[in-house]
Amino acid sequence: MKTYPITIELNGEARNTDVSATETLLDVLRNKFDAVEVKNGCEQGDCGACTVMLDGKAVNACLVLALQASGKAVTTVKGIGSQTSPHALQRAFVEQGAIQCGYCTAGMITAAKALLDEKSTATTAEIRQAISGNLCRCTGYKKIVAAIESVAKKEPATHKR
Amino acid sequence: MLEKNHQNSGAQKTTSSAADRYQVIGKPMPRHDAWPKATGETIYAGDYKRPGMLYAKALRSEYAAAELVAIDTREALAMPGVAAVLTAKDVPHNETVTRFGQTHTVGGFEGLYRVLADKKIRFKGEAVALVAAKTLAIAQAAMEKIKVTYKPLEGVFDPETAMQPDAYPVGEDASNVVCSYKVRKGDVAKGFAAADVIVENRYRTQMVDHAYLEPEAGVAWLDDDGVITIRAATQVIEHFRGIADVLGVPQNRVRVITPMLGGGFGGKEDITVETYLALLVQKTRKPVSLTYTREESILAHSKRHPYVMYYKTGATKNGKLVAMEARLISDAGGYVYLSPWVLLYSTVTATGPYDITNVKVDTFTVLTNNTFTSANRGFGANQPCFAYEAQLDELAKKLGMAPLAIRRKNYLHTGDALASGRVLEHAVETEQTAVKALEALGPPSRPRSDRQRIGQGIASGISPYGRMMFLHDTSRSFVSVELDGSATVRCGVQDLGGGQASTLAQITAEVLGIPMEKVTVFHGDSSLTPLAGTTTATRQLYMSGNATLKAAAAVRQNLLRKAGTMMAVDPDFLDIRDETVFVQTARKPWVITESESGECQVTYGGDRGDLIAAEMCPDPDPDKTLPLRDVIRAAAADGIALFNVAQFNAPARELIDFKTGQGQVWPDLTFGTVAMEVAVDIETGTIEVLKLISCFDVGQAINPLSAEGQLEGGAVYGLGYGLTEDIILEKGITLTPTLSEYLLPTAMDTPAVRTIMLQSGGGIGPFGAKGIGEPSNVPPAAALANAVANAIGVRVYDLPVFPEKVLKALGRI
Amino acid sequence: MQTVEYLKPADMNELAALMQQYAARATFIAGGTNLIPDMRSGRHRPEVLLDIGDLKAMNAIALNDDHLSIGAAATIARIAADATVNAHCPILAAAAAKLGNPLTRNRATIGGNLANASPCADTAPPLLSLEALVEIMDVKGQQRQVPLDKFFRGYKWTDLAPGEVITRIVVPKPSSGMQGGHTKLGLRKAAAICVASVAVMLEKENDHIAKARVAFGSVAPKPIRAYRLEAFFEGKAADATLLSQCEPILQQEIAPISDIRGSEAYRRQVTAVIFKRNLQELLWS
Repeated sequence: MKTYPITIELNGEARNTDVSATETLLDVLRNKFDAVEVKNGCEQGDCGACTVMLDGKAVNACLVLALQASGKAVTTVKGIGSQTSPHALQRAFVEQGAIQCGYCTAGMITAAKALLDEKSTATTAEIRQAISGNLCRCTGYKKIVAAIESVAKKEPATHKR
Repeated sequence: MLEKNHQNSGAQKTTSSAADRYQVIGKPMPRHDAWPKATGETIYAGDYKRPGMLYAKALRSEYAAAELVAIDTREALAMPGVAAVLTAKDVPHNETVTRFGQTHTVGGFEGLYRVLADKKIRFKGEAVALVAAKTLAIAQAAMEKIKVTYKPLEGVFDPETAMQPDAYPVGEDASNVVCSYKVRKGDVAKGFAAADVIVENRYRTQMVDHAYLEPEAGVAWLDDDGVITIRAATQVIEHFRGIADVLGVPQNRVRVITPMLGGGFGGKEDITVETYLALLVQKTRKPVSLTYTREESILAHSKRHPYVMYYKTGATKNGKLVAMEARLISDAGGYVYLSPWVLLYSTVTATGPYDITNVKVDTFTVLTNNTFTSANRGFGANQPCFAYEAQLDELAKKLGMAPLAIRRKNYLHTGDALASGRVLEHAVETEQTAVKALEALGPPSRPRSDRQRIGQGIASGISPYGRMMFLHDTSRSFVSVELDGSATVRCGVQDLGGGQASTLAQITAEVLGIPMEKVTVFHGDSSLTPLAGTTTATRQLYMSGNATLKAAAAVRQNLLRKAGTMMAVDPDFLDIRDETVFVQTARKPWVITESESGECQVTYGGDRGDLIAAEMCPDPDPDKTLPLRDVIRAAAADGIALFNVAQFNAPARELIDFKTGQGQVWPDLTFGTVAMEVAVDIETGTIEVLKLISCFDVGQAINPLSAEGQLEGGAVYGLGYGLTEDIILEKGITLTPTLSEYLLPTAMDTPAVRTIMLQSGGGIGPFGAKGIGEPSNVPPAAALANAVANAIGVRVYDLPVFPEKVLKALGRI
Repeated sequence: MQTVEYLKPADMNELAALMQQYAARATFIAGGTNLIPDMRSGRHRPEVLLDIGDLKAMNAIALNDDHLSIGAAATIARIAADATVNAHCPILAAAAAKLGNPLTRNRATIGGNLANASPCADTAPPLLSLEALVEIMDVKGQQRQVPLDKFFRGYKWTDLAPGEVITRIVVPKPSSGMQGGHTKLGLRKAAAICVASVAVMLEKENDHIAKARVAFGSVAPKPIRAYRLEAFFEGKAADATLLSQCEPILQQEIAPISDIRGSEAYRRQVTAVIFKRNLQELLWS
């Protein structure tokens, strides 16, 4: 099996490994970089559970070859905030009950962050569209949209990191 | 001691609000599991790794019906990196006859269950062989080297065909009919004769998938003591018993741990990966990981029963329901699993939340070679709701009555009885929920074009919480306080994402008078946490909630007794708030009563409007306080128990009479109404949901954020059932293998659900709560169908209501 | 397990050299939103992957005198948002905005959408109605332009020979009087595989239809131009009777199948509906 060296900037840190041509970014993140916060829900781009930011754009990690991410910046939910230094989106999700089983959460927050980075004052319709590739089976989306909305309405400073 | 003005109903009827009575109950609280989930730290079943871990795959049958002639695994076994290849012959006890109980054996129906396919394939997706290898890629390649010889058989794919005497036998019995029930009340012939209008229709509901975001997954290993330890996403850790029996090892040599699940909805209620993992660990003595792909999950795990329902309903010209005859047939798929029980739920809820004078219900569940069907949120209450709510609307239309009006003529109220004879002794607020839901719906929106029709519809549903009473359900929980005033809960409760574990922290915090952040919950370990029973049947708040309440109340009693000595005050006049013991002006004890049969009740004196003189504290001194921590330390020094492990017994009944359907099946039921407004494009059939209202009596919302979350989530789960989801099988082969074909509602397909929670306090859960996880998803599909019928003037009789069906109903195609 | 090679040319010269070297063995990947699932399922087993997604020349969107040039590797998201595309061929931007979901739109490319040649390809009907051409580079480095309606030959069958790649899409600038409309029908509002779609470009001259270009998606083995329908409309007075008169011709143009998303009858019905709605919108609003 032919392998290639890759370097990915994962949440600001340079990470190296060797991959085959067919390994996806999702494979590498979960299996080689231990970034299991990026979830596998379908491996087809249908569910959004594996959403990461690739050079700032929200994408399905299962639909990017690891080699295609080499030399690029990948941000997962851990790069967006932590418990000691949370992002406003994470706080809003927690405080407003927008998390039930939590499996879609990392992807949702990442998609939301990408949206607000691009458009800090997104409307409700824009929010619903931006997360239309992220399926949730537990919440019915209402509290998720409300949480994102509550951050979007605040000062841009609270969600630029 | 039981409070004088509380009857043995478990009801907590009080006049003051939760905010006055309780410290944390009824308050919107972030759950303790929320932060780790928000920051990506929660380790789900498939995220877990152990050194030296092998990767497993299951090879699944190519046919829905076939004779399994031979399996040759030699080439696969010889591949480098392959640690094990197992087939049926390698399983110590491959076949079990399930006498359903899930947690223990119980009489009733028998269904054959196989771990790995043997002799006869009964559905496509049946696991034929297991492989464990060093890498997933090797396991995958090894799977492709396993040679299976099948002899395809005819199969049968429609339950009504499968019921016929000469039908292809799915299993080993000549008959495919697994079981049937009847309900008989009065005389339907007389009833129909007296009816002024009769409506008769056939309804069909489709097969759907739970489609949790987290596919089935687990990791298993041998611990230092050789105990097979399985960490898997499961709703039932008690399966350790069945797993041990399959492996032929003692039951205390198998341990099942469940982490936080990424959704369950009944799909992880039956064993999924656990036995496969245990077998491979037993064989290889190495840790093994197994995660289903999404395609595998859709292919191979249980589904919701498709139903065919024949309903005939008669009413007088005033709208009073005088006769109902229903024949329900469900598709049990290739194996029995929980089909008999799902059918029982349908049988008893077939009349809906209505009083009907004469009732005849006949129900059947039938094996076919389709994917096996089992538990799915609602457990058989959803399908009849679609039918009985449509019948009511059609009757209303014929009578020129409004949908709400005909329902109000027939709603059951507290003290009335179901057709099965069960008296509804706890709160029944269906009528209120319907009035409020319709009110919230408001006047119809204006159509945006002349090709758009606006329609409004309501549907009321009835759905039980708590398991079937002949199961003699119990739950256990351990509560302790630590020397620094923090508290620990240990409970086997399985957390699917509905806050099942966090609720226990909230209850404990309330009872012990400490902040919720000071309670840590250890959950879901069959060896280390007291078994709480299944997270199914909307029972955890009721059962483990009450068990935790009981245990925490016992700890509290010990602490207050000690405090009473320290403060020279009768303990009944002491309360704890914000980690401080203080004197209260009236007697407000926590009371745990246990009947001779083991039924428990936990009641809290709470805040009452009128205080009796004899129960006033003779010497209330507001300055007499003690930090709780001091009491704990003093108690510890005395050797007083700072912990309690409690068992809560739900009331028990014998199995009902299946020939008459008479008897009580569940401890209580939840009632609610969903109202919907839709805009239908009459040329394309496209349906847009404009408004979605969900109104339920939740008894007491322990955590309003969680309760709302269940109503909102249930509404959309049910909306998908009504609008977009369809597992399409053709001769048992799925045509919807991925989430591209099997369509869940996205954020753009759902309006913001508006929830209205009534809090009657009339539930039998802690603090008067009712269960809502399943009930919330029972009416939405019916409400959608009613709204669409209202919009276009004709009805679609089978789910989901696809645009094409709308056009067919309109006669446009 | 078969080994797969991966190469990422830095510029067009390097690409041409690699294409010459690997010829028919080369499989091109840009967004990979179709290819990666196909590789996973085994539907596609490539030998050599040539990653063209980041090539500058294939990402450029430029307006020239008489045409809009869109690099084949331009993402669907970019196309949907691009000011030039929105200004000159808004129906392409509109269709792009409805493809897949926002996450897949950030990776999927217009070249990939066309090369995959699904009958449901979202960008195909607008491009067909815009009379777009695809520019193809062969293994010898030679370019040719193929009108899109000739490019699609049949079900998932295009003019691309093994080893060839689409480099850019050329969209002739529509004349100023041309107005367009696009509708996609799916079974849900986002991430929906198309059940039927239509793109219409019309030019009116004094209440007469001077020019009509109509294309349909998901109702034939490939995305199609409806020539006979166009011929029917051209020169006619913009009269309401056209709507009923055109129906039989429309039904002859399309050949929908019955599948899990809908029956033939349903597709025929709704295709006619969405076509007529676009027509009405363009003629009389």
